[in-house]
Amino acid sequence: MTALLDVRNVTKEYRGVSAVSDVSLTLEAGCVHAILGENGAGKSTLTKMMAGAVTPTRGEILLDGRPITFSSPGEALRNGIAMVFQETSLVPSLTVAQNLFLGDEKVFNRLRGLYIAAQQFLQSLNFPVDPAANVSTLGAAQRQMVEIARAVRKNARLIIFDEPTATLTPEEKHHFFELVGRLRARGVAIVFISHALEEALLISDRITVLRDGQHVVTDDTANFDRDKIIRSMVGRTLSDQLYNRDTQRPARAYGRKVLSVQNLSMGRMVRNTSFSVYAGQITGVFGLIGSGRTESAKVVAGVLKRNFFHGGIVRLLGKAVRYRTPRPAVRAGIAYVTEDRKVEGIFETMSIAESIHIGALAASRGRSWLISRREMRALAARWTKTLSIRSINANARVLELSGGNQQKVVIAKALVQDPRIVIFDEPTRGVDVGAIAEIHQIINDLADQGLAVVVISSYLPEVLNLSDRILVARQGRIVEEFAVGEATEEKVMYAAVH
Amino acid sequence: MSGLLGHLWSRRQAATVPSMDGVLRPNDALDRARTLPAAPEPDNLVPLGPDLVFSSGADLFRLTAASPHEGPTHVRHLEAAVTALAASPGGALAAGLDGRGVRIIGGPHDGTLLDGFGGRAVRCPTAAAFLDEDVLYVCLGSTHNGAGDWQRDLMEMRATGSVWRIDLRSKAARCVADGLAFPNGVLIDGRKIAVSESWSHRILRLDPDAARARPEVVLDDLPGYPGRLAPAAGGGAWLAIFAPRSQLIEFVLRERAYCARMLREIPRQMWIAPTLRSGASFKEPMQGGAVKVHGIFKPWAPTRSYGLAVRLDAELAPVASFHSRADGRRHGIVSVCEWGGEIVCASRGDGVLCALPAPSSSPQGKAR
Repeated sequence: MTALLDVRNVTKEYRGVSAVSDVSLTLEAGCVHAILGENGAGKSTLTKMMAGAVTPTRGEILLDGRPITFSSPGEALRNGIAMVFQETSLVPSLTVAQNLFLGDEKVFNRLRGLYIAAQQFLQSLNFPVDPAANVSTLGAAQRQMVEIARAVRKNARLIIFDEPTATLTPEEKHHFFELVGRLRARGVAIVFISHALEEALLISDRITVLRDGQHVVTDDTANFDRDKIIRSMVGRTLSDQLYNRDTQRPARAYGRKVLSVQNLSMGRMVRNTSFSVYAGQITGVFGLIGSGRTESAKVVAGVLKRNFFHGGIVRLLGKAVRYRTPRPAVRAGIAYVTEDRKVEGIFETMSIAESIHIGALAASRGRSWLISRREMRALAARWTKTLSIRSINANARVLELSGGNQQKVVIAKALVQDPRIVIFDEPTRGVDVGAIAEIHQIINDLADQGLAVVVISSYLPEVLNLSDRILVARQGRIVEEFAVGEATEEKVMYAAVH
Repeated sequence: MSGLLGHLWSRRQAATVPSMDGVLRPNDALDRARTLPAAPEPDNLVPLGPDLVFSSGADLFRLTAASPHEGPTHVRHLEAAVTALAASPGGALAAGLDGRGVRIIGGPHDGTLLDGFGGRAVRCPTAAAFLDEDVLYVCLGSTHNGAGDWQRDLMEMRATGSVWRIDLRSKAARCVADGLAFPNGVLIDGRKIAVSESWSHRILRLDPDAARARPEVVLDDLPGYPGRLAPAAGGGAWLAIFAPRSQLIEFVLRERAYCARMLREIPRQMWIAPTLRSGASFKEPMQGGAVKVHGIFKPWAPTRSYGLAVRLDAELAPVASFHSRADGRRHGIVSVCEWGGEIVCASRGDGVLCALPAPSSSPQGKAR
């Protein structure tokens, strides 16, 4: 194999603080290279430097042996380096086909021809996405597919995937891995960033581990196992803490019924679903993408509206409620921690303090026009300490935080609202293992304090490990309930699929 | 136009029922419970000293603790079907008689017949509980229909029930609460009383000493129609839920013209209404909600009858439940009580008494 891209002693500093420090890496054609590390380890910064999104402070990058400096991702793309970002960079108001061919349009474009070409291309990748569909109507998984397809279509020689499988179902992941195999066979170099260590072990040829912006180890995948990777990443073995289930652990007792959803219907996504949520417990909701679990939660939280006629009933503490916007739901004590923090959870350019304070403003009654900076800073300081939000400084923008710390900001924004029920939708998506443990602890603490907690997750070990009772969603409704002692991965998955 | 819009608006809400999940998650505990010898259509379980007394039509029977496997012994034949039964601490019984009143059997007020409360005829006694030898609380389910005509009372959406405090020495009766939707169970809960209100699917707590008791809703939105309440050892209570709610029945209840015609023209067994046992005839509505495959009921099939006993804690919140699902054979649980270290349930729908092992631990509380 030949070295396609050689990264030599690169360093990236923000305001004098190193995000990546003196890292060297060689990427070879036809090789899948996994880059692993906790959130804040510098993975995204390193790959962004490769893709031209970030310029290194020091060090050099060689492409085919020649030093290069990309001024933009577009220039990197013209040189055969494409990056599929963790959060998609599609234009929501355009169709799938228009997004696929964005930047490659001819002077005169025939939309029908565009759709046909896009259809053929998507089918060749086994991606079931309608090319005429507006991107804003697609779910997270389908957006990810379009993003991947766009990179593949550019005939890139190096494709960087940043958390590509986080939103995919097991079947979609299978297709994705096949696609990676085909690209590798064509001699494409692939960089694969994922927090799912099993996936990295499964599809990569080499693994590099970063910690705190520094290179820890690079070796062939055959020389790694899960525990070795985790030890390298965090300096301790976390796998037992995270997902080693204690099936004998007692479930928390049922408290008062806080939420009762009865025969809820919303379009084709939620169909006559019913469930209850109790105080002092973690209610896990598992389901494949498209099972309607997120949509049900969003209806409860006032983000989406249920059907106007025969949309069912939502009862909060016995009282029937119907929220048309999130604000009354927040004021009534419903906090929803979104699965898509970039789009729905945070304002990236705001500071941590401002982001957390927004949550308090949403819940406050009266005087919301009066903002006390001192109160805001005190609030932020308290929650930054409580949730261990790590940042370069107190005024850091949310944009500058790692994924795990961004997620903690979103959680803090929800918890300042003093909720009665907290709905976590994919709480650890795109979060490193260290932050996962911390977020799990936060969730457990909330339930121990007597709050009603709902955890929606596509990651089965997470649901099994956290929940006191597990609800399974399929085709728009809750179809099964398991007690903690009787649930197994096989049983829950069977209920979710069949 | 405005009439049409008004009609559409009134039909906006779906007919919904709460799900049986969490504490009320279905199981087959009642179907696995052992059976006790009983008489047809057992009802009104009351522990009396070491024995268990229950009713069957107009007859009272007794199961003795010394020989529980022997058949029940006949105690007494009363002048009408027994619709309520309570035992005092001293061993007296108060038997509610359908359309007649309340008869006291034994104790210092033996033979007393209470046939009118506050000038109101006692037509529909549904539950009773002694505070002491001289004070009795009685639930009257309806002023229009007898206790045996409970389906009609539901489908007519009546709310004419009341709860009364009776001083047996003076025969003075005081109304504790009125305008209730079929009060069907009463439990002495410290200084207050808890009452199950069947057609409102809830349990109320009333202060009988207050001049005008303001009901406190302690448990509502139940997925079935709550019936009798009985004290549990260690605090809390047992609640019998004698029939399930369903979306179809809730829908029919909203369609008043249809409902009235159904009551007028269709035989009672074929009503779209809850019942203590369904599935006896192929002419019945619902037929397992078309989930009957190859003649076999699926346990999750929508059904008009169901078996459900619920353990409540001292705050009257559910902590455990025992079920007989759509395909089960212990439907129509009308009464539950603790006796001989076991939980005895009367399945009137299937005509059996069944005994469950008592839960290993009970929540602490003050209800009795």
